Amino acid sequence: MKQIKEKLYLCSGLLAGLCIILITLLLLAQIVGRLFGFIVPSAEDFAGYALAASTFLGLAYTFKEGGHIRVTLLIQRFSPVSRKWQEGLILAFSLALMSYVSYACAYMVYESYLYDEVSYGYIPVPLWIPQTPVAIGVIALNLAILDAFITVLKGKTPNYSEHEDTLALEEI
Amino acid sequence: AKWHMPTPYGDGNLPTQIAYGFAEEIKDKTSGDLDITVHSAGSLVKHTEIPRAVKTGQVQMGEVFLGILGNEHPVFKHDNIPFLATSFEDAKKLWEAAKPQVEQQLDKSGMKLLYAVAWPAQSLYTKMPVNTLSDLAGAKMRAYSPSTSRLADLMGTTPTTIQVPDIPQAFSTGIIQAMITSPSTGVDSQAWDYVSYYTDVKAWIPKNVVVVNKRAFRRLDKNTQNAILEAAKHAEALGWEKVAERAASDKAKLIDNGMKVSDPSPELLNQLQAIGATMIEEWKAEAPKEVGEILTRYQN
Amino acid sequence: MDMLWISILLAFALLALLSLGVWVSFTLIAIGGLGLVLSENYQVDLLFATSSWGASTAWSLTALPLFIWMGEVLFRTRLSEDLFKGLSPWLSGVPGKLLHVNILSCGIFAAVSGSSAATAATIGRMTLPELRKQGYSERMAIGTLAGSGTLGLLIPPSIILIVYGVAAEVSIARLFIAGALPGLLLVSLFMGFTMMWGYLRKDELPKTSKQDTSWSARLKALRKLLPVVGLIGFVLGSIYGGITTPTEAAAIGVTGALVLAAATGSLSRNSFMKSLLGAVKSSCMIGFILVGAHFLTLAMGFLGIPKALALWIGGLSLSPMELILYLTLLFVVLGCFLDGISVVVLTVAVVLPMVEAANIDLLWFGIFIVLVVEMSQITPPVGFNLFVIQALTGKNILYVAKAALPFFLLIGVAIGLISLFPEIVTYLPATMSQK
Ligand code: NA
Ligand code: NA
Repeated sequence: MKQIKEKLYLCSGLLAGLCIILITLLLLAQIVGRLFGFIVPSAEDFAGYALAASTFLGLAYTFKEGGHIRVTLLIQRFSPVSRKWQEGLILAFSLALMSYVSYACAYMVYESYLYDEVSYGYIPVPLWIPQTPVAIGVIALNLAILDAFITVLKGKTPNYSEHEDTLALEEI
Repeated sequence: AKWHMPTPYGDGNLPTQIAYGFAEEIKDKTSGDLDITVHSAGSLVKHTEIPRAVKTGQVQMGEVFLGILGNEHPVFKHDNIPFLATSFEDAKKLWEAAKPQVEQQLDKSGMKLLYAVAWPAQSLYTKMPVNTLSDLAGAKMRAYSPSTSRLADLMGTTPTTIQVPDIPQAFSTGIIQAMITSPSTGVDSQAWDYVSYYTDVKAWIPKNVVVVNKRAFRRLDKNTQNAILEAAKHAEALGWEKVAERAASDKAKLIDNGMKVSDPSPELLNQLQAIGATMIEEWKAEAPKEVGEILTRYQN
Repeated sequence: MDMLWISILLAFALLALLSLGVWVSFTLIAIGGLGLVLSENYQVDLLFATSSWGASTAWSLTALPLFIWMGEVLFRTRLSEDLFKGLSPWLSGVPGKLLHVNILSCGIFAAVSGSSAATAATIGRMTLPELRKQGYSERMAIGTLAGSGTLGLLIPPSIILIVYGVAAEVSIARLFIAGALPGLLLVSLFMGFTMMWGYLRKDELPKTSKQDTSWSARLKALRKLLPVVGLIGFVLGSIYGGITTPTEAAAIGVTGALVLAAATGSLSRNSFMKSLLGAVKSSCMIGFILVGAHFLTLAMGFLGIPKALALWIGGLSLSPMELILYLTLLFVVLGCFLDGISVVVLTVAVVLPMVEAANIDLLWFGIFIVLVVEMSQITPPVGFNLFVIQALTGKNILYVAKAALPFFLLIGVAIGLISLFPEIVTYLPATMSQK
C-alpha cells in the first residue's frame, strides 16, 4: 500500500515535470520555426495548457514533499497535543475546501465537453481535453490531503511536515 | 439589481467609453434599479474567458472582440475577412447582413446580442515603404489567427506569431517587419517608436459586441428590458458615428509623430483585392449555407 | 454588509487561516470564495474554474517554470561555485564581500527574466548554499536576495511594465528604457547599504584567509566566470539579436544550462531528474498561489474594495506630491494582501485619471508603480519573493520578511529620489524621441 502511494506521488511529480519539458520543446520549436519560416500553430496555447497541467498535476507531489508553503511561526509554539489537533483541523478544512475545488474543476471539464467549447487560437482545440489534467490534478491533491489526514488521525506525523522543517538547501 | 459587465480593452478605447455611457443610460432610465458596473481592460474576467462567463451566467453582461469567436462558427468570421468591406458604410451593411446569423449562433449558446462597436479599419504597418506586394517579398509579417496567417501567405510574406505585448520588441529586434492592425492600436502602443511606414489599405473593419446572458435578461421586467434595448440602440448608433472621427484622429496622431502615412497605390490595391476574392471564396467553403446567405444579403 | 466591515472580516479571516498553518494557496482560495459570497455572488464554483483556467494558462507565465528549472540545473553544476571563485578576488576588499554577488547576479539576471520570483529563485538557488557554506550572515544573505530579486521587474524585460503599458497606453519600448537608470539606482543603493553593513558588522562576515587580490589573480579568476557570462550573453544575444521574444528566451536559458551541465560533466540521469522534480516543486507552489491570488483578485473586483479606496484618495483633492505619497501607502497596504500585478490591474482604471489630472507623467508613473510593486513582493503575508525564499531556505516567512526590511526601506528611498529627481526616469526615454 505504502509503495503504491509513493509511486503515485512520484507519478504526479514526473507528469508535471514532463509538462515543463513540453513547454521547453514548444518554445524551442517556435524559435526554430521562426528561423526557418514555418509556424508552429497554437504553440502559445499549447504552452499555456502544458503550464496549467504542470501546475495542477504536480499538486499532490508538491504537497507530500512539503513544497506548498505556509506560516509555521505560531503553530511551532503549540504543545505536541494541541499541534496534533491543529494539524487535524486544518487538514479537515483543506479536505473540504479542495473537495469543493475538485468539484468546480471537474464541472468545468464537463461543461466544456457539453457545450463543445473550443480554443480561440489557430487550432480549435476542444477545451475539455487540456482541462482534464487540471481536474485530475486537484483530485490527486485531495487524495494526498486525505492520506495526510488519516496519518494524523492515527497519531503519526504527516509526511509534509517532515520535509518542511528540513532545509531545502541541504538536499543533495 | 447590481450587474457586472467585463470589457476587454482599456478606458482610452472607444468601445469601453461607449460601454460606460451605455451603463449610465440604463441606470438613468431605470432610476437606479439596474446598476451595471463596467470592469474595463479585462480587470474582472480575462478577454478569452468573457464569452464563457456570460454564457454560464457568472456575469450578466460582457463585451468581446467578435473575431475571437471565429472558431465557434464561420459566421463570426465575417468580421475579419480581408477586403470584403473596407469602408464604414460597407462595414455597416455587412453587419446588417450578418446580424441574423450572428444572433442565432449567440442564442444557441445562451447569449443575446445587444450592440456592436466597430474599430477603425485595419491597415499595414511596415519597416519599409510598400508600393506593390513585391516590396514585401520575404518579409516576416505578424499573424495571430488562421486567416491572418493565410493572408500573410497570400501576400508573399512569412507569417510569424507574436503576442501583443511582444510586438514593439519584435519590430525593433527584427523578428517581424510587417503587421496589419488598426490605427488605434498603433497609437496605443506608440508604433512610431518601432515602425515607420503606415499604408492605409483598410483591410477589414472588426467589431466588438456586447452580449447579455439570456436567462438574466428574461428575468428582468418588461420596462427594464426595454431600457436596455433602447440604450443598446443608442450605443450602436453612437459607435458608428464616433468610429470615423476616431479613425481620422488616430491617423493624424500617427502623422504628427513622424510616421510616413500613405494611401495604397492602385497596383497594390488590385493585388490586395485579388487576395480578398480568394479568401472570401475560402470562407464561403467553410459553411456554404450560412456564409452564402450573408454574402447574398450583403452583395445585393 | 458595509464594505468596511467586509474588508475587516476578510483581512481577519486571512490572517487567522495563515497563522493556523493553512497553506498559503489554500488560504487565498478560501478567502476569495468568502469574498464572493459576501458580495452576494453564489456561483463560486464557476467563477473559480474560469479564473483559475485563465490564470494558469497565461502565456506570460510560461517562462517561470523554465527559469526555475534553469536555476535547479545550474545549482547542480560547478557553475555556482565558479561564480564565487571568479568574483571573490574582486570583492574581497569591498566591505560586505561576497554578499554583493547576490545583488550583482540578480541585476544581471534581471536583464534576462521578466519576473522577480524567477530572478530570486534562479539566483538564490545558486548563491544561498554557497554563501551559507562560507559562513556569511544568513539574514543578510536572505535580505540581499529578497531585495535584489525584485530587480527582475524593473530592469527590462518586465512582465509588470507590459501590463502597465497596455493598461495606460504608454509605449512599452519607452517603459523598458525608462527602467534602466532606476534599476542601476537600486543596485547602487543595495550595494551601498551592504557596504555600510559590512563595514559596521565585520564580525558577522567570514574571516577568510588573506586573498590574493593582485591584478593577475583577478584576471585569472575572471576565466571562471566565462561559462556563466557566456550563458547570460547567449540568452541576451538571442533576445536582442531578434531570434526570440523575452518569454521564449527562458527556453534558450534552460537549454543552455543543460548543455553547460553536460559539457562540465555534471549532468547525469539522476541530477537531471532531481533538477526537474525540484523545478516542479517550486513552480507548482508558485503557480497554485497565483491561482489563489487571481481568485482573490476576482472577488476584490466584484466587491470593489481597491477601487473604492482609490476613489476615496481621488476625492481628497491632493497636491501631486501628496497624491504620490497616498498612492504609495495605498499600494503598500494592498500589496500586503494581493500580488503586485493584481494591485495594478484592479486600481489602474481609477488611479490613472487622477494621475493624469495631477499632470504626472504616465511614463514616470509606470516606473513608480513598479517600484511600489517591488516593495509588495517582500511584504508579508502575501509576497512572492518571500515565498520563493521560504521554499529555498525553510526559514519562516516572517524571518525572511524581517531580513528583507532594510531593502524594503531602500526601495522607499528610491521612490523618494525619483520623485525629487524625475529625470532619473525620463532622461533616457527623452533621448529616444529625438531621432
Ligand atoms: Na527583468
Ligand atoms: Na506583499
